[in-house]
Amino acid sequence: MRYFIRTVQAVVRKELRQTFRDKRMAAILFIAPVLQLTLLGFAVDMDVDNVPTLVVDQDRSPASRDLLARMLADATFARTQEGDDPDGPMARGEVSVAVVVPRGYSEDVKKGRPAEIQVLIDGTDPVRAQSAMAGVLEFLTQESLHMATARAVAMAQASGRAVEVPMISVVPRVFYNPSLKSPIYMVPGVAAVVLLVVTTVVTAMSIAREKELGTIEQLLVTPMRPVALLLGKIIPFALLGLIAGGLVIAVGTHVFDVPVRGSVLALFLGMLLYLMSTLGTGVFISTVANNQQQAILGSFFFIMPAILLSGFMSPVENMPEWIQLISRLDPARYFVQILRAVLLKGAGVEDLAGPLLALLTFGVGILALGTLRFRKRVA
Amino acid sequence: MNDSARVLVAHQLHKRFKAQEALRGLSLGVAPGELYGLVGPDGAGKTTALRIMAGVMGPDEGYARIAGKDPLSGDPAVRSMLGYMPQQYSLYGDLSVDENLAFFGKMFCLDKATFSAQRERLLHITRLGRFGDRRADALSGGMYKKLALACSLLPKPRVLLLDEPTNGVDPVSRRELWALLFELVEDGMAVVVSTAYMDEAERCHRVGLLHRGQLLMEGAPTRLMAEHGNAATFEDLFLAAVREAA
Ligand SMILES: Nc1ncnc2c1ncn2[C@@H]1O[C@H](COP(=O)(O)OP(=O)(O)OP(=O)(O)O)[C@@H](O)[C@H]1O
Ligand SMILES: [Mg+2]
Repeated sequence: MRYFIRTVQAVVRKELRQTFRDKRMAAILFIAPVLQLTLLGFAVDMDVDNVPTLVVDQDRSPASRDLLARMLADATFARTQEGDDPDGPMARGEVSVAVVVPRGYSEDVKKGRPAEIQVLIDGTDPVRAQSAMAGVLEFLTQESLHMATARAVAMAQASGRAVEVPMISVVPRVFYNPSLKSPIYMVPGVAAVVLLVVTTVVTAMSIAREKELGTIEQLLVTPMRPVALLLGKIIPFALLGLIAGGLVIAVGTHVFDVPVRGSVLALFLGMLLYLMSTLGTGVFISTVANNQQQAILGSFFFIMPAILLSGFMSPVENMPEWIQLISRLDPARYFVQILRAVLLKGAGVEDLAGPLLALLTFGVGILALGTLRFRKRVA
Repeated sequence: MNDSARVLVAHQLHKRFKAQEALRGLSLGVAPGELYGLVGPDGAGKTTALRIMAGVMGPDEGYARIAGKDPLSGDPAVRSMLGYMPQQYSLYGDLSVDENLAFFGKMFCLDKATFSAQRERLLHITRLGRFGDRRADALSGGMYKKLALACSLLPKPRVLLLDEPTNGVDPVSRRELWALLFELVEDGMAVVVSTAYMDEAERCHRVGLLHRGQLLMEGAPTRLMAEHGNAATFEDLFLAAVREAA
């Protein structure tokens, strides 16, 4: 037993030493997560603002100028161009929205006739297009409403009657992510993805490397137990994974203002169980791979579907039934769920028994399977 | 020689890789203080035989024994009796000479005092002392082989298995390595060396010519020469035997 612990220690030390000596490996572990988080966090920022907008004012009246000025006052649209022809700039991708105020707009408004405003939207990016459309519609609807109300009031006053304009006033309150910022929703997902990539790939690679370089031959003739080798491989990457995970969450809270409303204990318990799954998967992959390249390839076979099914981009509930069923086998799904619940909803360990248990099951299962295969292959 | 005198025994080893039969009933025995040369052309099965004797891999049929024990059992007592130097690179290139020795010292379960004594001795006899800080992948071919040998000698094995230890090594280092082997054998170690060099084979106490997984002939080099009187050199003798088998 003392020998067992000493060999595990020796492997852990060797592993850490090699990891920090290998600049690429260290980069995968520490710089990549923060970089990925930052880039992904900003890139997947799905809040639509500063949409490049072309305005075509064919009316050239005070009313039309006023309308456009107010529309562009909000941060959603940014006037980038003025001109007569909306087609060219949009085709060239210079603008995503074009607003055309036709000649006669102010006349129509003054006379109380329906006035038309043409809005052209580049639908290449549906999310952006929908947001832009919603923004334009909301603004113009409000605008019509104001005009209609003003006119009704004016008419009523002219005829000496009191006016009552019926209105429904909506007071929305958004829970958990009140400013509806997408980074707050995305960061937990990104954290799960980053941890998955880092720990699975690195573990699989570090075991496969022993095979590729032939060092496993020399190890096998020592009295070392295969399980000691495995533990020596897993422990350092679990530690480094926890640190990388903490780093990602720290960046999330400091750069993207992600709150930590729930129990930090639940967070780390979830992370630990999740790491068991990702490290176990790494071990399992390394038993199939003969070299580092195969290990990377194998890891991505697992990582891609795991990310897609995790619900980090789009909610799992929106996926087809059978895909939802498969996603129950995805540890990333549970970790994303746990992270969002803890960070945004203030959940504690007791609220998350389900996903925590699922992670535990998957983690123990894949670790056991990986270990068995590993022992069989090296013995 | 009776079997009990043999510290290393291989009995009727068979090994097949898919369609390829690597070993077809190989038997051999090596006594303490004996230097045994396993000679054979590329693909004859030398590496496979050594790996099975080292317990890195199991045979399909037959068995290997180290001092009467099964090297496959994983019994630490057997492992500590065994030194094995693989044909391929098997040390950590990104670790230094000292770090490699220290790591394998721990894996071989040596206590601190034993390890530092062994380290001193091995660095001395391999003359690697000056290169303690050098990364293993920055060593020359010969120095690398010496380091690998030092690592396999750490547990003071009774049986040493070396797979082409002088492949890619310059003549000076080759001579040094062989001088080292003779010292080890002198001290009572049983050593098996695989080699493709006939001059090396000639220096062994006994040689076995392995061809397509079987021994074509086995014995002391001088005796084999005498028995097959018409060969001018040892090399001719072996080439003739291989040609005859084909
Ligand atoms: N792991 C393996 N998988 C498949 N075939 C193998 C494996 N190891 C060895 N072989 C095959 O078994 C035969 C014997 O190989 P082995 O490596 O034992 O020969 P060798 O005498 O050591 O040759 P060399 O001088 O090239 O090192 C060869 O035909 C080889 O291709
Ligand atoms: Mg070989």
